[in-house]
Amino acid sequence: MSIVKEIASAVEAGKSKVVGGLVEQALNEGIEPSVILNDGMISAMGIVGEKFKNNEIFVPEMLIAARAMKKGVEVLQPHLAKQGVEPIGKVILGTISGDLHDIGKNLVGMMIEGAGFKVLDLGVDVPPEKFIEVMKENPDCKVVALSALLTSTMPALTSTIKAIEEAGLRDTVKIMVGGAPVTQAFADEIGADGYSEDAASAAELAKKLYGVA
Amino acid sequence: MNRIPLDRQKESQAIEVRVQFGKEKNFEAPSYYTPIQPVENFRLMLEGKVPFWMPTDEDTFTIIPRIIPDNVARGYVMDAEPLALEENGGIDMFGIEWEYVPTVGGSMVKPGNPKVADICDWEKIITFPNLDDYDWEGSAAKSAPYLEKNRDKLIETWIFNGLFERLISFLDFEAAAMALLDEEQQEAVHKLFDKLCNFYDDLIGRYQKYYGTQLILFHDDWGSQRAPFFSLATCREMLVPYLKRVAESCHKRGMYINFHCCGKNEMLVPAMIEAGVDMWIPQSMNDFDMLVKEYGDKICLGSRMSLLPPETPDEDVVAAATAFVTRYKGCTRVFSSGAMFARTNPAMAKLMREVYFQTREEYNKLA
Repeated sequence: MSIVKEIASAVEAGKSKVVGGLVEQALNEGIEPSVILNDGMISAMGIVGEKFKNNEIFVPEMLIAARAMKKGVEVLQPHLAKQGVEPIGKVILGTISGDLHDIGKNLVGMMIEGAGFKVLDLGVDVPPEKFIEVMKENPDCKVVALSALLTSTMPALTSTIKAIEEAGLRDTVKIMVGGAPVTQAFADEIGADGYSEDAASAAELAKKLYGVA
Repeated sequence: MNRIPLDRQKESQAIEVRVQFGKEKNFEAPSYYTPIQPVENFRLMLEGKVPFWMPTDEDTFTIIPRIIPDNVARGYVMDAEPLALEENGGIDMFGIEWEYVPTVGGSMVKPGNPKVADICDWEKIITFPNLDDYDWEGSAAKSAPYLEKNRDKLIETWIFNGLFERLISFLDFEAAAMALLDEEQQEAVHKLFDKLCNFYDDLIGRYQKYYGTQLILFHDDWGSQRAPFFSLATCREMLVPYLKRVAESCHKRGMYINFHCCGKNEMLVPAMIEAGVDMWIPQSMNDFDMLVKEYGDKICLGSRMSLLPPETPDEDVVAAATAFVTRYKGCTRVFSSGAMFARTNPAMAKLMREVYFQTREEYNKLA
């Protein structure tokens, strides 16, 4: 098995202790950092996402795979920076105002990161003003991902999108929404650009919205 | 076995109106004449025998005492002294702070600042409560008049924060989920669950002693709206041995366990059965008909009654009841859940009565 494949299977299996060493080994063998990232780790996370979507694996497996990838990226990061390899893009992520739930949002963040993006996670109970502030600070960010778990906080999805519109920033980003009570129909109704029903699909959607799918 | 035939007129009579414990407010509900006591009827179902009618949550009497800080923290007290809205939330028995969310009617631990950063350190951080610290005698005395009035029902008490929920409350969700699978953390999780089982055993014993509890609702959500949080294999390895001990704590005392487990958890039903769970009310995202077909002979399954508009004409209510009873014809381990709606929705109250009448006749044929 090639070293890149070994990295991929170690990430998929969540072997965080060995991934760093394998990445070192691959670098020593002269393999391009971008190849290690894309073919070793991001592709492995793609498989993890697919298996998660199909209920072949579950949250713990996905989390330990993401943790393993993180270990690999820590080793790889300086080499990526040296070569000027950048993330696909930035995604601003948060659970909207009035909602304290973070489980789904965190899983989405991990999968989007695993797909090669930089995630700016604003946490839970995020007021529209905070989204706008971070958007202004990151004009290169093209996707904002909003999460809501409660039917009672779904209106905050609408008001957050409206606030972004009023701030004159709506045309600068694509907005994706998700969470237990959210549906494609609701996403369409409130003028979101995309909806996904699970974390793996959210990563695919982010790529699509960035035009790299 | 000869069964007493349905006497629709007699069994339509509300023999009295009784106070029931409710969340934030106690309420009154009618009690009807029945050929055997509702508790006996419930036991027939739980023991795999043919009940006289389809049991319902109206046949239970719930007490969730305020002396247990977990119940206050989770915003779920039902006893002689209901909690005011603003009293909900706060610190639980293990020192974890819960924030009550009024729109949800429940509480959550605010994420991001877990009490335990590394599960391997839990013994240094977590202090188990001493159940002697709570005023059991005082609570029992206050509840006694209500409980005595309802001893013909199945007395149910809830235990908030089952095993996985407790782990989440200590660690936050992601760390708790990973701890179930990470070999380096599993031993610490086993040790915690083992100690929790001893604690739950003590708690269950006290519920029986002080309130005469017969059914323990053990609260442990295992899934999201689309799937279980973990695999059946992980569940079997990390949770089943301990849930089994909780079930045994109930069974050895002649009690039963009602497993409260939100989420789309069809895949985990074999684990519930292996653990000895007596009953489960699946949320609506689960395929109830499939569950009845696959597991209806091994576990009692509760069906939430579909909501009817309050002004539904009587003939439509009867038709809805007939459809429901016909759907589960022959399966006498299905029970219905809809008491909460029956309180305020006359059509739902009628529907529950009609299901009673129809299953009285239907089950007599099966006995």
